[in-house]
Amino acid sequence: MNGVDDIRDLIPAYVAGELSGEERRRVEAALEGSPRLREELRRYERLFVLLAAAAAEEVEAPRDLESRVAMQVALRTYVRAAADIAGDLLGAYGRAIVYYLRLV
Amino acid sequence: MRRHQTAVYRVCYRVLGDREDARDAAQEAFIRAYGKIDTFQGRSAFRTWMLRLAVNVSLNERSRRRPLPPELLEADSGSGPEEAAVAADEVARLHRALRSLKPNHRAAVVLRDLEGLTYEEVAEALEVPPGTAKGWVSRGRRRLRELLL
Repeated sequence: MNGVDDIRDLIPAYVAGELSGEERRRVEAALEGSPRLREELRRYERLFVLLAAAAAEEVEAPRDLESRVAMQVALRTYVRAAADIAGDLLGAYGRAIVYYLRLV
Repeated sequence: MRRHQTAVYRVCYRVLGDREDARDAAQEAFIRAYGKIDTFQGRSAFRTWMLRLAVNVSLNERSRRRPLPPELLEADSGSGPEEAAVAADEVARLHRALRSLKPNHRAAVVLRDLEGLTYEEVAEALEVPPGTAKGWVSRGRRRLRELLL
């Protein structure tokens, strides 16, 4: 990898503020002498503005999520207990029915 | 559950790009959490553990479902000055581009750049070494740059 490619790969992390001090200085020195790298920097800056805007979007969970989870957990617990009882009462045949009906 | 449901749902939504699929995935993630709560060992934060379940369910869901939906439903936009400078259609383009990334790269970018997790947390949530998580974020960002700018 030549120097320009090396620096180009560091640009997103530079924009994200993830580089060490030494890496940051290397990138900044390379940027001064390269319009191509500065153009790349501009594009990544724009990408991170878009990412910040997307991150700021409010995405609320559905109001009924908690009750749906509670109902499903209760239902699965009940079905599993019923399947265990069926298995105990009917042995292998009962377990086969439970498996066939995909109850567990 | 109440404390984590917004983050879990949001990650599912951002990975899947569809509110209904995200609701189903978030629901399944919490059901699995109830079933596996005794396996939570406290080595990672509970939130990271929950997000791992959310990502796993979402990626499995995505792989067995129909092709990606044509549009991501509009979410309320932020009200800060920086966000105001970005048109809604540009954010929609970003979401479309995100959906075209490889699943692992998409999940890594969502967790790092949209959810703000550290690389260590991203690695824990995706169950890969930190170097791999960093590589996935990097490749995801590069692909987004190619697609959008």
